[in-house]
Amino acid sequence: MKKINLLICLFLVFSLMLTGCNKADTTSGNDDFKAEIMFSGSSTLAPVISKAAEEFKELHKTWDNVDKSFPNEEISIFVSSGGSGAGIKAAIEETADFGLTARAVKSDEKEALGEHQEYTLGVDALTISLNPENPILEFKDNFTSEELQKIFSGEYTHWNEVDDRLPNTEIVVVIRDIGGGAHEVFQSSIMKDIDVRQDAIQSPSMGALVTKIIENKGAIGYASFGAVNINEGKIIPLKVDDVEPTIENILNGSYKISRPLIVVKKGEPTEAEQKFIDFLFSTKGVEIIEELGFVPSN
Amino acid sequence: MHKFIEKVFSLFIRLMAFMSIFLIIFIIFFILKESLVFFRQVSFLSFITGKIWRPVSVNPSYSIFPIILSTIFVSLIAIIIALPIGIGCALFISNYLDEGLRHFVKPYINILSGIPSVVYGFIGFLVIVKNFEVKLAFSSGESILAGGILLSIMILPFIISTCDESMFNIKNKYLTTSQALGVSKWYMITKLILPTARRSIIASIILCLARAMGETMAVMMVIGNSPIMPKLLSKGQTIPSLIALEMGGAQVGSLHYHGLFAAGLVLMLLLLCINIILYFLQRKLNF
Repeated sequence: MKKINLLICLFLVFSLMLTGCNKADTTSGNDDFKAEIMFSGSSTLAPVISKAAEEFKELHKTWDNVDKSFPNEEISIFVSSGGSGAGIKAAIEETADFGLTARAVKSDEKEALGEHQEYTLGVDALTISLNPENPILEFKDNFTSEELQKIFSGEYTHWNEVDDRLPNTEIVVVIRDIGGGAHEVFQSSIMKDIDVRQDAIQSPSMGALVTKIIENKGAIGYASFGAVNINEGKIIPLKVDDVEPTIENILNGSYKISRPLIVVKKGEPTEAEQKFIDFLFSTKGVEIIEELGFVPSN
Repeated sequence: MHKFIEKVFSLFIRLMAFMSIFLIIFIIFFILKESLVFFRQVSFLSFITGKIWRPVSVNPSYSIFPIILSTIFVSLIAIIIALPIGIGCALFISNYLDEGLRHFVKPYINILSGIPSVVYGFIGFLVIVKNFEVKLAFSSGESILAGGILLSIMILPFIISTCDESMFNIKNKYLTTSQALGVSKWYMITKLILPTARRSIIASIILCLARAMGETMAVMMVIGNSPIMPKLLSKGQTIPSLIALEMGGAQVGSLHYHGLFAAGLVLMLLLLCINIILYFLQRKLNF
């Protein structure tokens, strides 16, 4: 009797585990209309989509208001943020309908995606920012790429090595996590093959990085263009190689530290999904992108 | 009928028990599977003894010895700070407060453990780190010490509630006898309660060590996340903060990605080792 009980238990447990395996098959069937759209990925892009989704829902409420052929179902758009890598992973594994990435899609990722769509919503630029009380601002409003390389690689450790009129205080280098999208942009546009110093502070978010620059007089870091606009006066962006980080310079590519904001879809979007993508590129969508501090691509 | 319901119920309970065991096995299996990919390319020994973690560089290096050290270092500092305060607090609550006040104070201490860790992290970032910079003139306040101080506050409620519970029981057991013999309260605490409560003190240390080593968000915000050799006042990076920080950006399937799973495996092994060592220590000292 006991053995039979045990067997039944085991059987039930395994059958429970196996139900999980079935999931992918049921969701990929596109026969029924899907009222939910899932976005997942870059924490830079996630607020844009959340805001746009909010507006989209407020505007239409149900899908039949978007297009007559859609059923009368409530619009629900979910956004979860977890980094560019996670976003593309979600798109590849189809755990989300769209992946969000704040860097170009790598070639091996393209391979894993197979047939896919990329929508470039806009550009985010990183500005080399300082605390307003940093005395260097009296002498300099520009860093060359070489100077930045030396500062971030740890060749310069004190401010007086950058310019001998400056006090002998330590340079506090603040970066984002070295595996993330923001750092990748900085690495490829400024550092190239040189590694960033090991004792740089890695901030868990762009907000934390900006707060660190606001709080610490000796800090230098790459704040996003949007973050600088929100914190105008609290952090000071500098020119890089004599190019000022303005909207024109970022869009025409002369300002070098920038990254694209891309929505990735594996396969073709459904009609409903296409409607939302269209909305992102509409005047309203562009307004939202601008409002959140990014530079829209069109 | 009654018997049938009983049967179904017992079957259900068994099922649930099996489920939770399977969950643990499944988690361990999953982490092992993901990190085995990594250990096929990087040897385990060089992974835990090498000094440089540089996963996305052009000449990558995957070694987490400084990160392991930081993890242990931060947790030890937290326990060194929190243990005397926690035991003192537990003694006070169990011995000096009357029943009504005790029931009034304890929930407030337990609330401490319910505060989300990101809130602690935020306070640590704006108070501890900021004060290190302003009052102590550090170039940057992110440090192992800041992490230790913050963690000590976070583990305090666990030490207090574990110790208080057993100290309260011990006190009730010996109070009448002690009073009949006419010994002072202080004598009772030092000669009876503290020695008898050592088991629960050790238990609370184990509990807190596990919690401190696994704490992610709060530590990540105050420690600077630099994978360098830890010193008391230098920056550092712990294994959980490494995983949380880099998992989002790591490309799926890359060596970096599997390396983070391997770091998770090392953390689990580390906790297992510490538990085993403390267990044998406890037996050897005949506690």
